[in-house]
Amino acid sequence: MVSLMKRSVAELIGTFILVFFGTGAAIVTLMISKGQTPPNSFNIGIGALGGLGDWLAIGLAFGLAIAACIYGFGKISGCHINPAVTIALWSVKKFPSRDVAPYVVAQLIGAALASFALAYIIGMGAVTTGGLGATAPFEGIGYFQAILAETIGTFLLMLAIMGVAVDREAPPGFAGLIIGLTVAGAITTLGNITGASLNPARTFGPYLGDLVLGGTNLWANFPIYIIGPIVGAVLAAFVYNYLSEETV
Amino acid sequence: MKCYICAEEGKSTDAVAICIVCGMGLCMDHAIRQETELWTGGYPFPAEKIDETMPRILCKYCAMALKKGAPKGG
Repeated sequence: MVSLMKRSVAELIGTFILVFFGTGAAIVTLMISKGQTPPNSFNIGIGALGGLGDWLAIGLAFGLAIAACIYGFGKISGCHINPAVTIALWSVKKFPSRDVAPYVVAQLIGAALASFALAYIIGMGAVTTGGLGATAPFEGIGYFQAILAETIGTFLLMLAIMGVAVDREAPPGFAGLIIGLTVAGAITTLGNITGASLNPARTFGPYLGDLVLGGTNLWANFPIYIIGPIVGAVLAAFVYNYLSEETV
Repeated sequence: MKCYICAEEGKSTDAVAICIVCGMGLCMDHAIRQETELWTGGYPFPAEKIDETMPRILCKYCAMALKKGAPKGG
């Protein structure tokens, strides 16, 4: 196994790629649709171009970036690129305690660097119009409803990880593709509800970027994207282990 | 079974091993024993080289071909 430092760098780069391409797609969609007047506050611009197709496109940008990272970094660091996944694997004793903090810190740094890189490349429109792709509950979605939605979405993601990668009987080679497509599907459904983060690092990067660069301060929503994904992922790991355990 | 390479050289030597790739009988002098690294893990766990290696017996022809055809890097 390569050193913890190298594995942490792999996590940093992987999370950078995830946030750069994923939230980048959300920012660009918002900027393209800026000219169209949103008919109501539930419509922030995403959806103006192609309805749910906008969310599918954003979801695929996330999903395909995740797939590429899993194939690229899977053997090096495990390519969690999501603190909820790291914590869930630790919770079922599949990941050592001493490595959790370095992995999570690396993921947060990677996500933050991606948000700043997007602001630098695209310009301040990425902050003022695109909000750096930050997630927030949509009109009419309450705090606990948003937590529940994030919990269910991340449950699905972690369930796929358990079934297609962690399970010893999982067919080799499919993990990246299936997990990427799972994220794309979850974003298509949950996008216009909570922004479909499923990943505390993915929300942390844009929130920090918006705060530093003068965008909207959304930190009051951050607990949604910590509690929901972690609870969902841990729950999925335990449920999968329980249901797949053979009784004698 | 006799050693194929010795037979090529006009000698008759009993084989003590068989090449795992082509099945050629090999005497002790012509058998090449290689240790193959074994790895465990991969997404979502970092891959880890395990202490044990897996031995394999090759003839000189297959050993050379495998060496030339081995993937670069890694």
